[in-house]
Amino acid sequence: MDSPESSGRPPLRNLIVRSRTRAVPGMDPQKIIQSFFGASASAAVIVLVLIMVFLLLEGIDFLPTYQRELQTYRRAGLELCDIADTPLKQQQALASLLRRAGAAANDPQVKAALSDAEDAFDTAIEPAAEVLDELKAHALETKGLAVEFHTLETSRQTLLKAAASTDDPAVKAGLLMDAEAATIAPVNFSGRILPLLERREELAAKLHDYTAALEKAAAALPAGNALTDEVRAAMPAHIAEVQTAATNLKTWDADRPVSMFSVIGAFFFGTRWITNSYWQDFYGFVPLLTGSVVIAVIAILIATPVSVTAAIYTNQFASEREKEIIKPVIEFIQAIPSVVLGFIGIALVGDLIKGVSEWSWLQWVSGFPIQERLNMFNAGCLLAFMAVPTMFSLSEDALNNVPRAYIDASDALGATKLQTVFRVIVPAGISGILSAILLGLGRVIGETMVVLLVAGNRIAIPDFSAGPGVIFQPAHTLTGIIAQELGEVSRGSSHWQALFMVGIVLFAISLLVNGCARAVARRFESHKA
Amino acid sequence: MKPALTVLCIALSAALSSQAQTTLRIRGSDTLGAKLVPSLAEAFKKQGGKASFDIAAEGSTTAFTNLAAGTAEIGMSSRKIKPDERTLCRSKSIDIHEIDIAWDMITVVVNKSNPVTDLKKKHVMQIFAGDIRDWSELGGAPGPISVYTRNTSSGTYRDFMFMAMKGREYGHYTQKMAGNEQIVSEVAANVNGIGYIGYAYVGSKGIKVVPVGGEIPNPAAVKSYSLSRPTFLYTNGEPAGILKEFIDFCLSPAGDAIISRAGFVPLSQVR
Repeated sequence: MDSPESSGRPPLRNLIVRSRTRAVPGMDPQKIIQSFFGASASAAVIVLVLIMVFLLLEGIDFLPTYQRELQTYRRAGLELCDIADTPLKQQQALASLLRRAGAAANDPQVKAALSDAEDAFDTAIEPAAEVLDELKAHALETKGLAVEFHTLETSRQTLLKAAASTDDPAVKAGLLMDAEAATIAPVNFSGRILPLLERREELAAKLHDYTAALEKAAAALPAGNALTDEVRAAMPAHIAEVQTAATNLKTWDADRPVSMFSVIGAFFFGTRWITNSYWQDFYGFVPLLTGSVVIAVIAILIATPVSVTAAIYTNQFASEREKEIIKPVIEFIQAIPSVVLGFIGIALVGDLIKGVSEWSWLQWVSGFPIQERLNMFNAGCLLAFMAVPTMFSLSEDALNNVPRAYIDASDALGATKLQTVFRVIVPAGISGILSAILLGLGRVIGETMVVLLVAGNRIAIPDFSAGPGVIFQPAHTLTGIIAQELGEVSRGSSHWQALFMVGIVLFAISLLVNGCARAVARRFESHKA
Repeated sequence: MKPALTVLCIALSAALSSQAQTTLRIRGSDTLGAKLVPSLAEAFKKQGGKASFDIAAEGSTTAFTNLAAGTAEIGMSSRKIKPDERTLCRSKSIDIHEIDIAWDMITVVVNKSNPVTDLKKKHVMQIFAGDIRDWSELGGAPGPISVYTRNTSSGTYRDFMFMAMKGREYGHYTQKMAGNEQIVSEVAANVNGIGYIGYAYVGSKGIKVVPVGGEIPNPAAVKSYSLSRPTFLYTNGEPAGILKEFIDFCLSPAGDAIISRAGFVPLSQVR
C-alpha cells in the first residue's frame, strides 16, 4: 500500500516522514522534530522560572537591607523624633483651616479673632518645635555617620576581596592601602543617643504645654463657621494623639531590635513611599497598590460591558458583513502602542474629562469639577480601551463554543432571539466570559506606560472620604513606580531592592489573576459537560 | 591570506578606535540635557568638532550610575555629587572630575490666571511641604493647591528641598512629574497649580513667574537669587582629547552665547 505513494511525494517530505533507511542511525527524524517542538515549549517554562529566580535573587535581600536601615533609624533616634513630629504635623492642617476661615470671613471682627487664633496656634507649637528641631539635627548627624561608616565598610570589603583574588603584589598592596584608608571607627550609637534620651522629658513637657495652649486658643474660636467647627471637632483627637506621643516618648527604647516580622509589615502595610529624602526613606507598598487596584477596577468596570455586549452582538446579531468590519477593527486596537495612547491621554482625554466636568448641569456628579486632568479615571479609561480587544475576542470565542444544539433546542421551544441569548447562550458561555474578564484584568494591572504618563503620579493613598469622586484624584501605581525610579537608583541599594520587591509582588498578582482565570474556566466547563 | 587578514585587523581596529573616540555618551540631568547640552553638542559639531553625541536625560542620579557603570563619558548634574555616589564611583575605579558649566535659577511658577502676585519664602516651603493647602490662605481665589514637583531622582527635586524647604519632606499630595516640560503643561492647564522649573522654561505659555520673597530670577544677579545653583559636568579623570575639546568649547565665548540663549547663566557672567 505504501510503495506506489512514495514515488509521487516531494523529496523533502519523503526524507522527513518516510524513508528511515537513509536516516542517521539512532536518529529518528520524527523524534527530532518532536523534541524540537518539545524544546520550544520547555524553553518558555524555563524562561519563566529564570525570571522568577532573577526577581527573587535581586529582591530577597531587600528585607535584611531594610531591616538594617530601620534599625539605624531607631538607634540613631530618628524614630524618637518622629514619635513627636507625626502628631505635631497635624497642627499645620488645623492652622490651614483657620487661615481659610479667615480668608472666607466678611466680618472684620471675626477675621481679627481668627487671625489671633492662628497666631496663638503658631506660638503654641514653637517651644516644642524648637526642641524637636535640635533633637532632629542631632539624630540626623548620627545617621549620617552610620551611613558613612556602612558605605566605607562595604567598599573596604570590596577592596579587600579584590586584593585577595589578585596575584600581582603591586596591585595587591595598592588595594590594601585603599582599604586601609577606608577604615573608620564604627558609630557609638549608645553614646550618641544619650543627649536625645536626656531631653525627651523636656520634649514631653513641651508637648503638654502645647496641648494646653492649643485648647485655650481653640476655646476662644468664634462659633458658627463651618471651618472653625471642623477645627474644633478635630481638636480632641489631635490633643489625645499628642499626649499619647508624649507618653510614648518616655517608654521608647533605642535598643529594641527591629524584627523581620515588623520589616515585612512595614513593606506590605506601610502607607508611606518616600525616597531620596534628607530624613529617612520609607518603602511602604499600600499607596502604590491602592492606585493600581483602583485604576484596574475602573478599567474593568468600563471595559466589561463594552466588550461583552460587543461580543454578543457580533456573535448573535451581526450580519457577515458587519462581522467582517467589527472584528478586525476591535482587534486592531491592540496594535496601538501604549505610549501613543499615553499621549492621547495627556493631550486629549484629560482636557476632555476636565472640560466636561465643568459643565454646570453636571455638577451633581461627585468630584466635579475636577482639578487634575491627569487622574485615575483618565488612566482607567485608556486602560479599558486597551483591554477591550482581549476581552472581546475571548468572550466572542466563548459564545462561539456554545453547542449549536442548545440554540436549536431553545428555538424549538419557541423562545425569541433575545430570550435565547440571555437565557441560554450567555449562561452557557459564562465561564469563558468570566475568564476573559480576568485575563483583561491581568493585562490592565501589568500596563505601565499609560499609567506612568496619565495617572498623575501622586504617591499617596487616595482620599476615599471624597466618595465616588475619588476616581478623579491622581495616584501612583506598582508598574509606574518601577518604570519611573528603577533607571535611576544605584544597583544593589535598598531602593533598587525595594523596586524589585514591588516587581515580585506584581508578578505574583499576575500569576494569581491568570490562575483564577484558568480555574474559573475549568470549573464551569465541567458543569457544561 | 595573511595580508588580507592584516588589512582586516587594521580596518577593524581603526573602526573600533574611531568609534570609541568620536561617540560621546552623555547621561544625567533633565534640566541640562533637555535643551542646553544638545544645543552645545550641535554647535560643537557645526564648528568642526569631530564627535557624535548620544544624550539621554533622565535625572541627575543617572549621571553617576552611568559613569560608575562605564556607560557614559560625561555625566550632567544639576547638583553636586553625593558622598555615597563618589564612593560608588571610586569603588569602580572611576576618578570623578567635576566641571562647573553654567548657573541655573529654579523658578516658582503658577498658572497665568492666578491672582497671587508674590509669595513669601516661608509660604513656598509651606506649600510644597503640604502645610498650606488652599489658595485662599494666601489671598488668592479659594481652591485646593495642586503641587507639581520633579520626580525623586531629579537633582532639582533635592536641591529645592534644601534651598527652599529647609530639608523638609515634600507633602504627600505633591505630584511627581517626569520633567520640566510636564510641569509647565500641567501648571498651564490647572488654575490652582504651582510648580518649579529651570529658568530655561520661564517663557512657556500659560504660566507666570511668582517672585519668592520679592526676588525675581535675573541673569544679571545670579548669586544673590536664593534659588540659584551651579550645574556640573562630570567626567572620568581629567578630560582629554575630543572630550577636552568639547568642554573647552562649552566654556568658550561661543559656548557662553549658547548657554545664555538656552536660559542659563554662563560662568563668565556669574556675579
